[in-house]
Amino acid sequence: MDFINKIPTHMDFEGQARAEKLSRIIITLFGAVGLIWGYIIQQFSQTVYILGAGFVLAALLTIPPWPMYRRKPLSWQPAKNGNDNQVKEGSKKGKKK
Amino acid sequence: MHSVLQRGNSILAYALSVLACLTFACFVSTVFLNYVTDAKMNTVKVVVKNVPDYSASREKNDLGFLTFDLQTDLTHLFNWNVVLWDKIIIRGEKAVLDFKNMNTKYYFWDDGNGLKGNKNITLTLSWNIIPNAGLLPNVIASGSHSFKFPVEYTTSRM
Repeated sequence: MDFINKIPTHMDFEGQARAEKLSRIIITLFGAVGLIWGYIIQQFSQTVYILGAGFVLAALLTIPPWPMYRRKPLSWQPAKNGNDNQVKEGSKKGKKK
Repeated sequence: MHSVLQRGNSILAYALSVLACLTFACFVSTVFLNYVTDAKMNTVKVVVKNVPDYSASREKNDLGFLTFDLQTDLTHLFNWNVVLWDKIIIRGEKAVLDFKNMNTKYYFWDDGNGLKGNKNITLTLSWNIIPNAGLLPNVIASGSHSFKFPVEYTTSRM
């Protein structure tokens, strides 16, 4: 289980935005190309297959947290020591969830 | 977009939305097409008999027999939105029909004696369009053929 937990699944904020944008572009592009191609050869099934290929490509490129989505990590403030801060942080976390 | 599952959910939902849009585009591209075409038909042999229909009762009813010619080209009815026409012509099969002296597939029964000497019997050809997405029109060909049944019953076997 330790090994599984060590697999990184994290993307930074900018990476998440890029991943979403990229997936939208890929799927839209494949859909448009599929529509044109399917109309040319008059086979709607080809349109669906090309869209499916676009989905698979987008899934491979944007679902796993590739290193390209982790280039701009947020610089967090260093953790402070002290009982007061710990209590405050705990309550904040509770509110966020 | 912060986790693997959420990203997967997001792109799957988007891909399905795009698929719905493409299907709609396919429907729009064919919805204004005219599916009417011309068909030439003719009757060769026309006979009317007066026999009992034992599947219904023992009373004698008129039974019409006819053979017919049919010539039509349905090729242009098939496009990327049409899957199949009926059990007989699937898209991709030869859709130029040229039948000579065909027998009817079903009995032409009348309930009573209306066929003998009837002067207005009209053959028409019609078909159902079965698309991937859109309407299911029932289209009647522009050609038809009217004929008369004879005034005498035929008693001999054919």
